[in-house]
Amino acid sequence: MEAIKNAFDFKDFPRLDMSVAGAVFVFLLVFPALPHSSFAMATMIQFLMFSLYGMGWNTIGGYAGQVDLGKAQYNGIGAYTTAVMMVRWDVPFWVSMPVGMGLAVGWSFLIGYPLFRLKGHYFSIATIATSLVLKDLFEVWDFVGAATGLQIPIRSKLPDFLYLQFRHDYYYYYILLALFVVGILYLNAFRHSRLGFQLRAIKDNEDVAKSLGIDAHWCKIKAYAVATAFVAVVGSFHACYNFNIEPEDVMSLDLSVLIAMMALLGGAGSLWGPIIGAAILVPLKSYMGDWLGGAAGLEGLNLIIYGGIIMLIAAVQPRGVWGMVEAVRARRRGGYAAS
Amino acid sequence: METLFAELAKSLVSGIIMGMVFALVALGLTVIFGVMDVVNFAHGEFLMIGMYTTLLTSPLLGVDPLVTLPLAGLVGAVLGIMCYYGLVRFLLRGPMVAQLLGTFGLMLTLRNLALLFLGSEPQIVHKGLLVGKSFVFGPGIVLESTKLAAALLSIVSFALVWWLVRRTKLGMALTATSLDAEGARYMGISTERMNATAWAIGGASVSIAGGLLVNFWPVDPNVGLLFTMIAFATVALGGFGSIRGAFYAGVIIGLIVYFPPAWDALSNFGGLDWPAIHSFKYTFVYLIYFLIMVFRPQGLFGWKQ
Amino acid sequence: MPLLEVKHVSKEFGGLVANNDVSFVLNQHEVMGLIGPNGAGKTTLFNCIAGHFPVTRGQILFDGRDVTALKAFDVSRLGLARTFQIFQASGDLKVRENVMVGAFMHNPSRSKARAKAEATLEFLGIADAGDHLMTELPVAQQKRVALATALATDPKLLLLDEVAAGLNRAEIEDMVALIRQINTDKGVAVLLTEHVLEMVMVLSHRVIVLESGRLIADGEPEVVVKDPEVIRAYLGDHLVSDEEAAHA
Repeated sequence: MEAIKNAFDFKDFPRLDMSVAGAVFVFLLVFPALPHSSFAMATMIQFLMFSLYGMGWNTIGGYAGQVDLGKAQYNGIGAYTTAVMMVRWDVPFWVSMPVGMGLAVGWSFLIGYPLFRLKGHYFSIATIATSLVLKDLFEVWDFVGAATGLQIPIRSKLPDFLYLQFRHDYYYYYILLALFVVGILYLNAFRHSRLGFQLRAIKDNEDVAKSLGIDAHWCKIKAYAVATAFVAVVGSFHACYNFNIEPEDVMSLDLSVLIAMMALLGGAGSLWGPIIGAAILVPLKSYMGDWLGGAAGLEGLNLIIYGGIIMLIAAVQPRGVWGMVEAVRARRRGGYAAS
Repeated sequence: METLFAELAKSLVSGIIMGMVFALVALGLTVIFGVMDVVNFAHGEFLMIGMYTTLLTSPLLGVDPLVTLPLAGLVGAVLGIMCYYGLVRFLLRGPMVAQLLGTFGLMLTLRNLALLFLGSEPQIVHKGLLVGKSFVFGPGIVLESTKLAAALLSIVSFALVWWLVRRTKLGMALTATSLDAEGARYMGISTERMNATAWAIGGASVSIAGGLLVNFWPVDPNVGLLFTMIAFATVALGGFGSIRGAFYAGVIIGLIVYFPPAWDALSNFGGLDWPAIHSFKYTFVYLIYFLIMVFRPQGLFGWKQ
Repeated sequence: MPLLEVKHVSKEFGGLVANNDVSFVLNQHEVMGLIGPNGAGKTTLFNCIAGHFPVTRGQILFDGRDVTALKAFDVSRLGLARTFQIFQASGDLKVRENVMVGAFMHNPSRSKARAKAEATLEFLGIADAGDHLMTELPVAQQKRVALATALATDPKLLLLDEVAAGLNRAEIEDMVALIRQINTDKGVAVLLTEHVLEMVMVLSHRVIVLESGRLIADGEPEVVVKDPEVIRAYLGDHLVSDEEAAHA
């Protein structure tokens, strides 16, 4: 199928990009074998998670250009589906994960239909509203443990691949890395697909896109569903990794905004952007939180710096790091001279 | 029966009063939006700062919190101007996402600066001329004076802003810019100045609203987000850019949130005991925003396009 | 069967009547010019035909089908393509990718869409611009890309909205040749609106004239251009009476 061919088609990236990507991939592959602290490992796992979040977010926020600030609700759906199914009915991860994804995607179609009648900041605020509503619901719903959340019982025999419970982090790491690779391949196929092109046309100029036969409303809903699927899968993983989930953890506005922010900082609308964004912000947040947050009386300083960075990026280069790279490249390429 | 009537009446009045404060909170947002089409995520943080200004200066100066309101307004205005010249001005140049990101960063920064310097313990100001006193309106209808004062002062502030926008030269310049910035420029009205003025007015009014709340709402650095969302919902309901709309919408939302008997009735709905539904009050606010934007995006009084 | 039939179409915006009872017919492979003074309602008519605005009254038939109620993306899928006057290229898409968006309409496969895009770029003489961003191209080339994108949808009718705006003499001549080529080589019917009258005269088989929302003339270019109604519409009453006075 052409989609499979597309997934592996990286021809349009310059050699330099692919070499760097290759080097990074090798590093990611061997990282657990290198000497590292458990804090570093936890940070790397966070990095992979946020990369996946960001890559998913990119389909709606980057390619389609609609800034979605309500993705956390789908993280919650994924996490809770897995947690609930595990706690109540002893269902393995590999079954609950697709179920969670299905529920999340179903919900996204439901609210996507009215949601995409909105544009610009009205849309963004509405996404916040829907996410907060769902979170509030979960906080009072006893079936999912209300505000206290759920605790996943530890299984007797570890490592357990069926239920995704391990004593050592590197198991989690490699499973996540595998998901990461699948994610990249999927998104590569996506950006080469008709839907990918159509979304970019919509973002460019929606009226022109419509005159080219593109049903903008429906395309956006589809992109939103893809983004949702990514987030829900990571959510399911999160439940297994954390053993303990509550609405404030997995469905907060802060999480939604963090996801959007990393993708935007790295450069929304490109394949590498969200990964770059996560690579910069996750260690920053982690290590700053560790050094500064722990110290007495400095609570919140890391977030102040965070906020400052965000404001700087927004004011100076809203197209993110990758946007800067492409701008430099475009300048180097020089103008066009008609033959 | 008499007590039921009293309960209902009391809730009605409570709702209207809180609604007026909500209206004042939304006023700032709608003015800024009307003039420059910017949505300010940090709006609630201005309210929080207004609260803290009042909280800290009234014991310092040894005066009643109400007296420090103009100071809160001043702080809000100055902060608004600083934010405009220091950040928002640059955000306007970029794509819309820059505004969202930028004002969100501002929200994070302001909130955590407050956390850092002021601690995270919620506090209520229990001192003041009106604390502990109440007005009796009728059989069994007792209103705390602090809330009453809040509503009255909110109306005063609204009237002030209304007068400013409708009857002064400055206000007309603001309106001109909001309708057609380029045209206004040709008439010699500096868009930059008008934008900054809008932020000053916006910051001042929501700061004052914060000061008004201090006597009966716990002051803590995290209070901002809730009020930002309430402001958004109010502005959406009233119509983005409409001052009149903000007032009516505020009252409506106040009624929805503060109508306890209705909530009590709901919590016994169908024989189920859902006491938890009380925490849903604000969820309905978010839901309202969503429903309005989808089904009637121009709100009650239309929006400025 | 005519390709496009506009029947008594009126479009009102609140109190403003932009198009008033406009009726005309356009045949297969025909090039038709739509002219008229500024504010006559030409772009509005375009938008109505293309499905961007719903009409207030009237009916539009395209290729025998009633498209009056159809939205823009449905109408375009039936074979009606258009270009836009205002070009806001955000610089995100490369030229080739831009054209591929058009090609994707009838070719879900990426390789086929890409081939079609390249062939179309070749046809329009800008095959070498493929890798550049739209913003890097001069205006004349940008217009060609817009044409290529529209053409890649394999339309039966192409609506050109002031495609000569911003071009110099030489570029306009090139554009005329291109449009002629599109019409004769690809058999695409064209409805173009222009302020550059010579262009319209040279290209069109027939011309229709709009003034204040009404259709005031419909016929061959040489005939229409001498129609006193048309002259009056463009130049105002006094010139005609000056002429009459001169002959008196």
